[in-house]
Amino acid sequence: MKKCLVLLENNQPNLPLELLEVAHRIFEKSSVFTVGLPLDSQIASSAEYFDVLVHAEGSQIPAYDTANIALIAAKLHEEYGFDCIIVPATNYGRMVAPRLAMRLDVGLVADVTGLEQVNGQLEMIRPAYSGKLFAGIVKKGMGPLMMTIRPGVFPAATNPFKTTQHRVFPFQRKSSGITFIGSREKPATKDIRDSEVLISGGGGVLEHFSRLQDLSEALRGQVSASRRIVDSGVASRKIQVGQSGKTVSPRLYIALGIYGSVQHMEGLKNVQHLISVNIDPLAPICSLADVVVVGDAVDFIDQLLKRIQR
Amino acid sequence: MKIVCLIKFVPDVEEDSTNRILNPDDACALAYALMIKRRNPETIIEVVTMAPRTVMGHLEDLLRLNVDLATLISDKAFGGSDTWATTRILARYLQQTNYDVILTGTHSVDGDTAQVPSQLAEICDLPQMSNILAIEAGSFLAGKPEIEVDNDSSIQTFQVELPAILSVHKDSSYKLPYVAYQDLNRDVSSQVRVLTNLELGFLPEEVGLEGSKTQVNRTFVQKWSKEEKLIVQNDEDGIETVYGYLKKNGFLL
Ligand SMILES: Cc1cc2nc3c(=O)[nH]c(=O)nc-3n(C[C@H](O)[C@H](O)[C@H](O)COP(=O)(O)OP(=O)(O)OC[C@H]3O[C@@H](n4cnc5c(N)ncnc54)[C@H](O)[C@@H]3O)c2cc1C
Ligand SMILES: Nc1ncnc2c1ncn2[C@@H]1O[C@H](COP(=O)(O)O)[C@@H](O)[C@H]1O
Repeated sequence: MKKCLVLLENNQPNLPLELLEVAHRIFEKSSVFTVGLPLDSQIASSAEYFDVLVHAEGSQIPAYDTANIALIAAKLHEEYGFDCIIVPATNYGRMVAPRLAMRLDVGLVADVTGLEQVNGQLEMIRPAYSGKLFAGIVKKGMGPLMMTIRPGVFPAATNPFKTTQHRVFPFQRKSSGITFIGSREKPATKDIRDSEVLISGGGGVLEHFSRLQDLSEALRGQVSASRRIVDSGVASRKIQVGQSGKTVSPRLYIALGIYGSVQHMEGLKNVQHLISVNIDPLAPICSLADVVVVGDAVDFIDQLLKRIQR
Repeated sequence: MKIVCLIKFVPDVEEDSTNRILNPDDACALAYALMIKRRNPETIIEVVTMAPRTVMGHLEDLLRLNVDLATLISDKAFGGSDTWATTRILARYLQQTNYDVILTGTHSVDGDTAQVPSQLAEICDLPQMSNILAIEAGSFLAGKPEIEVDNDSSIQTFQVELPAILSVHKDSSYKLPYVAYQDLNRDVSSQVRVLTNLELGFLPEEVGLEGSKTQVNRTFVQKWSKEEKLIVQNDEDGIETVYGYLKKNGFLL
């Protein structure tokens, strides 16, 4: 049996299942014993998927206290001897994992988007050279496999309900040197990662980007964008799809005037239906689309809206 | 106050050229340090980079911006180091250096791991925070910086005790100044120091490719292609096809 430590973040309901999916993909044939450690002690929903869920004793340890979380994880490793440690590639996950890797003296692969067995070795796949290529990275030396995983990339196949043992872990928190003062919301736009339908615009609709809104309302979706649009100041980076934006897995992605650079496609994972509207049928995104519409994207919006309203 | 800025020169991927530029996050961090030095001229700024000697010209350009000292850690033995090995090399130098605060970028556009700062913090036993959008100058000069941190949907504010590693994000928009005209050709060679493994003393198997804990096995271009595909024109028939497709797959009521 393989043992796996999974770090969790509270505000992402699907994440525990996604990370467990990763554990099962790594150890294909073996059964996996899973220990969950919340980055933020107030975990609730993810409870019943793990064999053991660890809660640090005493004061709550907030996610930003990455040094103490790494310390707890290291102590857990001393005890269990994990074969693998999986951390979400969230802001704080990406600060905890490197600390833990140093503590355990193991290599860490950041922002993994794929896994492959190559000649009996696990390759962790991630974008490299700014998304122009992918790199398959292998671990060298002793100790557990360790990686951070992008949310949204490994959809969960099953719901492995388990009887979870809740374990209170005795822990003396050391001073973190960081004091929380406050938090304010950024202007609310809904997260494009939560949308089943994305109407996405690129360079081809730069001057008419606002028109996408009508189509997204008709299809009850949200508007997203390529980096060309974001860099032109037409839309906020929060709705950018791609390597330096967000990874999305909508059921439907309509790409309007998007070329399909490697960096953009990097942000599309498990899109079920891809429709590309482009004056150039040879744009790379068209070779991946289920439906290619050759023509002007704004004209397409007008005509399709008319057809829907008929 | 002594500020160490960890910097890296990276390929200019936006321009797709072989030129090297200062990593955008690091440029913001250094711009902040220079702004502090303008407010308090007693501030000392040292930039530190582990890189091939070819970056020398770039380092001299930074010195002409009013950086006091540049340390170039450079040795053939260090080539090919992964973040684990890189961190250990940088840490060994930092442990023999004075500083009140270490400023870094959050991530580099070529390594793109965002691991080095947090890994360094663990070895050096320091507080560390990534994704910093702002450091309030008054509190920074008073030795208790208040920082604003991007946490996706919210912006969080913290106070950090020094010494610490503060990792700035390029969305902070701190901008490097231009070199003053009279400094364009100033001789700054006396302000650069090169450190090799002679000074740092690693065993060959501890650094470089051999000392790394991860290794790139292969690189490849991702291939996608769909089996069945509908290609239509943007006309009445084409729109009808799209409409039918959306209907069939449940996107229209
Ligand atoms: C480090 C790095 C990270 C990056 N990260 C991202 C990222 O996260 N996301 C991202 O999107 N990009 C990213 N990029 C940028 C990426 O390389 C491309 O430059 C970008 O995706 C191009 O956007 P585009 O396809 O919208 O625009 P363009 O390249 O301008 O393409 C426009 C497309 O629209 C078509 N078109 C033109 N007019 C019309 C019309 N009237 N009707 C229909 N079609 C039309 C054209 O044929 C073309 O295919 C990154 C680049 C780098 C270097
Ligand atoms: N070779 C290096 N020399 C100096 N600083 C570095 C080096 N590599 C990374 N850094 C610092 O660590 C940050 C994150 O880089 P990375 O972990 O490569 O994404 C950078 O923005 C730099 O501040």
